[in-house]
Amino acid sequence: MTATATPIVQLRGIDKSFGPVQVLHDVSFDIRPGEVTALVGDNGAGKSTLVKCIGGIHPIDGGAYLFEDEQVHVHSPRDAAALGVEIVYQDLALCDNLDIVQNMFLGREKRRGLVLDDATMEEMAAKTLDGLSVRTVTSIRQQVASLSGGQRQTVAIAKAVLWNSKVVILDEPTAALGVAQTAQVLELVRRLADNGIAVVLISHNMNDVFAVSDRIAALYLGRMAAQVKASDVTYSQVVELITSGRSGDLGLATANGVTL
Amino acid sequence: MKAGPSLEEIRRHNLGTLLRHVHISGSLSRAVLTDRMGLNRSTILGLVSELASAGLVREELPRDTGRAGRPSLVVRPESDQAYVLAFDVGVDRLIAARIGLGGAFLDRRETPLPPGHRSAAEVTEALAGFARQMVGAAREGSVCVGVGAAVRGTVRRLDGMVRAAPYVDWLDEEFGEDLTRRLGLGVPVTVENEASLGALAEHLRGAGAGCQDLVYLHGDIGIGGGIISGGHLLGGDAGYGGEVGHMVVNPRGGRRCGCGGRGCLEAEAGERALLEAAGLGPSATGREAVRAVVEAADRGDAGARGALHDIGDWLGIGVANLVNLLNPRTVLFGGTLREVFLGSAAQIRSRINTHALTPTREHLRLRVGALGDDAVLIGAAELAFSQLLVGPLEALARHAAVAGP
Repeated sequence: MTATATPIVQLRGIDKSFGPVQVLHDVSFDIRPGEVTALVGDNGAGKSTLVKCIGGIHPIDGGAYLFEDEQVHVHSPRDAAALGVEIVYQDLALCDNLDIVQNMFLGREKRRGLVLDDATMEEMAAKTLDGLSVRTVTSIRQQVASLSGGQRQTVAIAKAVLWNSKVVILDEPTAALGVAQTAQVLELVRRLADNGIAVVLISHNMNDVFAVSDRIAALYLGRMAAQVKASDVTYSQVVELITSGRSGDLGLATANGVTL
Repeated sequence: MKAGPSLEEIRRHNLGTLLRHVHISGSLSRAVLTDRMGLNRSTILGLVSELASAGLVREELPRDTGRAGRPSLVVRPESDQAYVLAFDVGVDRLIAARIGLGGAFLDRRETPLPPGHRSAAEVTEALAGFARQMVGAAREGSVCVGVGAAVRGTVRRLDGMVRAAPYVDWLDEEFGEDLTRRLGLGVPVTVENEASLGALAEHLRGAGAGCQDLVYLHGDIGIGGGIISGGHLLGGDAGYGGEVGHMVVNPRGGRRCGCGGRGCLEAEAGERALLEAAGLGPSATGREAVRAVVEAADRGDAGARGALHDIGDWLGIGVANLVNLLNPRTVLFGGTLREVFLGSAAQIRSRINTHALTPTREHLRLRVGALGDDAVLIGAAELAFSQLLVGPLEALARHAAVAGP
């Protein structure tokens, strides 16, 4: 995928308030197919709110949401799913008492007449895991309760990919994982993008961010400080963008985030 | 002046190209082969039947069709007919494998390589023993079409002489010729540097598949490198090129290197440097020790973090130089450098972004190797297959005659 792919999702001037608190101010954000876009920012900078707006959980107050160059109105997660936008949350939302296939199809089960079409679902799940070169899962009929943290993350990501998603957003997928499992998940994240999916990765770990991302978007106090190519910035510049909203020529016009 | 290629040469070339596609991709329908090779259907049909009657490929129904209509047959490599032997002379172990056409591991054996038993003669003897067992276990009538061996050192391309392999203490060993003689298979042994083979393997079957310009960095006890440029392994005049680990990054006051120099990339960013920076004594070595440092850093250990920070800096400086020189599309980190990369990517990227010129780095992709520890063996096998893939029928006939009764 070339670095100049046109964005599949374009947010322009997004505002979002919860009561009197304005969480997002005039945020613009692009997500490109075939790329991993890292979304970074301090706690409370608005990362989770922004992705929840993209995923249809929070309605946006103002601004434009463009999908494949057309303005769309996303009012619910179903609207987002219909566009091909899937979010994998920190808590993963997997059911421990169900197996991998059941989890991947939860709420969207395939039916044949009145009964569930287990064979088709199993085949689709296996094909998806295979397509992602997942070799860490021994049986797709394993209960999720028996999986390790990395495997659970893998299942959650595969679930997002199963529906021919075009955009997959991952909220801190490596936060609770050890080194070896983090490596597996990062490789999976990279593979998603190399397969042409537009991936957004929220992470606090700068090594993870620089290891897999093509672009880095830094939020500062609800404003988009900068969205830059990962091949154009240094670690310390990104840290400055996160902590003060600007770094040299990059970032917001004044240090306290008020645009002049 | 030579006239254009003869019909016979064209046919041989087409047979080789078709076999290479099937060897790398596993199974392909005739329709896909027709597309990829730009030949017409009847030519493909003819080539496939010729390879099939030599026992190199077979045609069969695809497993799942998922579509209406009569499924098109797929061409698969016959892994049992032509095979190669691949050897890896590691730092502390010898690995041998018999690998079939298509890349299937048919047999794999391993033995530790204790200090004091690492002379070229002893290694040759041990590998010949493995070869005897593996060839003996092969199916009657199958043919060994090549042998590839990997060493951690500089190798003369012409005859496989190992000029220097410091970790096993070899100097000017006629390893390639000795091993060829000792095996007695009538197949010349091709010897190559281990990281070059890793590069070849990742280029053909791994994270660099489809990428014509890549640099592969392999960490174990030192740092090795392999460079694919324009789709070809870069070796230089005599095959000694690609010694990325001995690129000088810090000659004034830098760390002593095993090669006798100072401030080589390997000395500054290799395993020893990382472990010492993390405050570990000389008894800590190997992949487990490197992994332990990366894990300690992940848990927040300041010493381990500092060590990875420094090593990442040096590694980034080294990669920045390579990026400026070679403009690779992909830089791959393999061996212990996989862990080191994931634990210090911020430093590595920052250094590259600071020192490499904008045009050389703008489409650069940093990736970890996809083949893991088998990359070297797979590369050795691919090297050994190269003769077969140039002229399949000739190579098969030649080796079958040697192995015959």
